[in-house]
Order: sequence, then C-alpha cells, then structure tokens
Amino acid sequence: MTVLFRRSEMHSLAAPYALDALEPREHQRFEKHLKRCDSCAAEVRLLREDAVRLAWNTAAPAPAAMRNRVLMAVRTTPQEAAPGQTALGPQPHPRAAQQPLPGMRAQRPRPSRLHGLLSPLAATTAAAALVVAALFGVQASRTQDQLDQERTQAREIANILAAPDAAASAGQVANGQSINVVASASERAAVVTPAGLGRPTNGRVHQLWLMRPEVQPRSLGLFDGDTPLLATDLNPDATSLAVTVEPQGGSPQPTSAPVVQLALNSVGFGE
Amino acid sequence: MQADELLVLVAKGDQKAFEDLYGLVSGPVFGLVRRVVRDPAQSEEVAQEVLLELWRSAARYDPGRGSALAWVLTLAHRRAVDRVRSARAAGEREMREAQRASGPAFDQVAEEVEAGLEREWVRRCLDRLTALQRQSVTLAYYDGYTYREVAERLSLPLGTVKTRMRDGLTRLRECLGGAV
Repeated sequence: MTVLFRRSEMHSLAAPYALDALEPREHQRFEKHLKRCDSCAAEVRLLREDAVRLAWNTAAPAPAAMRNRVLMAVRTTPQEAAPGQTALGPQPHPRAAQQPLPGMRAQRPRPSRLHGLLSPLAATTAAAALVVAALFGVQASRTQDQLDQERTQAREIANILAAPDAAASAGQVANGQSINVVASASERAAVVTPAGLGRPTNGRVHQLWLMRPEVQPRSLGLFDGDTPLLATDLNPDATSLAVTVEPQGGSPQPTSAPVVQLALNSVGFGE
Repeated sequence: MQADELLVLVAKGDQKAFEDLYGLVSGPVFGLVRRVVRDPAQSEEVAQEVLLELWRSAARYDPGRGSALAWVLTLAHRRAVDRVRSARAAGEREMREAQRASGPAFDQVAEEVEAGLEREWVRRCLDRLTALQRQSVTLAYYDGYTYREVAERLSLPLGTVKTRMRDGLTRLRECLGGAV
C-alpha cells in the first residue's frame, strides 16, 4: 500500500477533522495517525474546543415531550462499561464482565442498520424506537436467527413502551442491586431491566419471578447480563416481581430468598 | 452540580444524575443538532439518540480531556453531521437546498431563544473573520459539508480550504478567549 498522505498533509487535516469535515476514509486514517502523533492530538484537542464554541449560539429548548421519552428509554437501556475495564480487574464494574460490546466501537455503520430496523416501528412512539436503537446498538455480531429473535423481542418491547398506560418503577436496594420495570397493565406485559445485579458466581443465574397472592411464584425467565427481559401474560392480580439466585438453568420454584423484590401496584397491577 | 460531575455519576448508573444532566445539556444538544439537520422531526430523533448515547457511553468520558459539555457537543455534532450527510446522499439534497435558500443565511434557529452573551460573542467574532475563513468554517460546522464539498462550493483549492478552516478556528479562539 502506498503512503497516501505525507506527514504535513496529514497534519493539515486537523482543522477539517475538528469540524467533522473529513470523508469517512480520511477520518479513519486521520484517527489512526492521531494515535501515533502526540503533537497532533494536542492540536486537535485545541481545535475541537474552538469548534465547540460555534455551538454556543445554537442552543434551543428541546421539545418538552422529548424529556419523558429519553428518561423512559434510559430505564430500559443497559450501559457500556468503562474503557479498559475488564472482569479481571480488582473491582470489576458490574457491567464490565457482561458487555465487551465490540459493536459499540463501530458507530458509523449503525444508522443504516437502524434505518431498516426502525421503519416497521413507524406506528409506535419515538421512545420505543429509541429503546430498540439502544438494544441493537449494543449487540455484537449475531446470527440471522438471533437477530430475528431479538428484533421480535425489541418490537414487543416497543409495543409495551408505546402503550398509553405504560408506567415505570425502579426497585431500590441498599447493596446497589435493583431492577427497573416499565409495565403496561393493558398489554399485560412488562420490560424488566437488571441494574447492578452482576452475574452470580459458580455458574448460577438470576431468575425472575412473578408473585401473586396465594399462588406459587411463576418463572418469567433468566436474566442474561444486563439485557432486558420481556415478561408477557402478566396476571392482573400480580403483586410483585422478585429476583432470586438459582442453579444453572434455573429452578421450577425459587430455592432462595429474593435478592431484589419490586411491588407492581405503582405500575397498574395488583387489583 | 456541573455537567462534569454529573456525567461521572451517570457512568455509574445514577438515573437521577442523568435527569439533571438532561436539564443542562438537552438545550445545547437539541439546538446544535437542529442547526445542522434543520428538519425538526429528524433533529428530535438525532437529539434523542445522542442523549441516550450519553447514558450508554458516559463511562467513556474522561474529565482530564476537556469539559463535559464540549464532549457532549462534539458527540452531538458528529451524529448531526452523519445524519445530514446520509440524508443528502439519499437524494434529499435538492429539497434541503431549497429550504436553506429560503431562510436567512445565519440565524433562523436562534430567534426563538433568548439572546445570550455567548451567542452575541460568537456572532461578533465570526464577523471578524475574513469571508473565506467564515464560509469555510460555517459551511462545515453548521451545514455539515466536508472540506472537499466546501472547496467545491467555494471554487477553492483543497489546501486553501484546509488553511482557511485552521486560521478561522484559531482567530475565533483569539476573539472568544476572553468571553468565557
């Protein structure tokens, strides 16, 4: 491969780079160069600060409805681990072990994939589309089957979030372990997102249960890392959700006390 | 609390901190995205994605490498530019050009918002640039054109555009340095 840019030419790309004015291939090449060139990095940082000043006179109030949509979406969206953090660290971040997230690095190809994904969702709300975007934004490369399955699930999640009676609730537990719930009584369904649960040791799993008065708990499935769990066919008399630690593969009935329990009355259940 | 501190809390999964951060940055993010993308519905979509991305990737923010707001706006600008370019590539160019031509060159978005001191300063300092510096910088930053496209539009050699961009930004820095 020939050297396409001399050093000085590469250097002259700093200003266009700071203004996001490079073509994709130049952008990549320049970022590669930046890693090896300390003086360039310092200059780019300065030029970027200058460019950001141009945003000073563009601020405008965001549409009021946007706030709720974003905050709702945040409740069901897993976070990326800090760069360089791994499960081997002395104090692993609860999410670090579960999300290597190779997909996150490749930001640029994302919109096109999302485009096809979001179009069937045109009828649902923007919040729903956002969550779908978030779910698929963090997926690594998958087989077509897995993708189809995730897409179906994402669509069902979108439906719940779009329901007129969708309501959110978050469990609060002292040790930082919690679950967030967005539920719709009319859809009889909920999206349950683990927050800080981590993964139990020794191959055990976190299992989610639906609790009802005078009935045995019903399993709603096993958590896989921070991925939200879709719970359907929820009984209207359900009183709470509970998470227990169970042996690999889960149990027919809970074998231990819940690590997290969340009442459902605030989200329209328990009548 | 400052955006810098909030972002650190957000990286730890603090939803309350995210709500506060939203209050601080949603206006700047939405305004910047709309300045670049123009179309209100698409702007809202992009702004939402940016704000959600803040939640998702807050852990990537490194306080040692600049202010949180700068980090947020850099992200917002990149996403806005990506959107406007793919829209152009998808053949919406003519429509967009027509929209652009009908509006005032610089400030159609700004009018709804209170005129802040900073806003005033940016405008003043942009006025002090040479015409070519100003056009090179604003066509790229506010309109999302690559420097190659800017060169084409201004009928200038590539090297000249790159230099004008650099000089323009540097002069802006000198002019705005005292206005923080």
